[in-house]
Amino acid sequence: MDEQEWIQVELKRLFETSQDYKQKALLMAASDLLKEQAIRKEQLQGELDGTLWSPGNWSM
Amino acid sequence: MNTLIIISHPEMDESSSQQFLVQSLSDPSLENVTIHPLEKTYPDGIIDVKKEQQLLREHDRIIFQFPFYWYSSPPLLKKWQDEVLTEHFAFGYRGNKLKNKELGLVLSIGVAEKDYQAGGQEGFSISELTKPFQAMAKKTGMTYVKPLSIFQFPYKSERDKMTLLIAYQQYVTLSKPDALKSREEWLVNRLEDISYETLTGENAVFIIDQVVELIEDNRMELDELRMHINNFHD
Repeated sequence: MDEQEWIQVELKRLFETSQDYKQKALLMAASDLLKEQAIRKEQLQGELDGTLWSPGNWSM
Repeated sequence: MNTLIIISHPEMDESSSQQFLVQSLSDPSLENVTIHPLEKTYPDGIIDVKKEQQLLREHDRIIFQFPFYWYSSPPLLKKWQDEVLTEHFAFGYRGNKLKNKELGLVLSIGVAEKDYQAGGQEGFSISELTKPFQAMAKKTGMTYVKPLSIFQFPYKSERDKMTLLIAYQQYVTLSKPDALKSREEWLVNRLEDISYETLTGENAVFIIDQVVELIEDNRMELDELRMHINNFHD
């Protein structure tokens, strides 16, 4: 299990034990934000790979 | 940033969505937000224009929050616009008191989102139907902020309601509520202030610390990736 997965499991556990509605919402938002960041990283990595491998840049 | 939320709803206490939104803001970290329910302040419908103009001067972001009745606001908010946004205050000679402030809308809408488009049941988009508010912002020199539209609140799942709660808190407090980076900073601040009285799970402090660290590490990686991409295009 990598760090991102571990954090997701722990956040879910905290979400279930929290006794405050707004706090639960905040914990859920943290979990969603981490997922969004992971997707954004994948997209930027893809963009970088695409840029590096673009035939238009081979002559550089 | 100071935010003024002007709520117009003829029966605010009966509205589950309005109650939900108002409850979302009962938090000490949201102290720069003023909630101003028009129908409660003026049950007889007689508006104190001087007081309203003073409130506007004291805030940077003005939000109109209302149920979208017949593609517009309830009548008291229209009356408020007619009476408060006067010449020499909001427009015309020396009428620059709202200039560079922001105008946002929080709309509660009874019909599904998919129906607000050409070919949908309503036939027009929210952007088209809210043109009078956009024109008001333009005329008064305000910046129009993308609205927060809440479609069919009573049908929302508990998860969607929680997502809305955070989106709303961000909408009223963040200068760029859409940007990932501003939401990261906002969330980190909120997590650092989290109350451990209601968060009694094992290792809660440690886990929250780790979450904050991971959000910040991810941000560094994202910025780095962006920098590499930009460098390549230089």
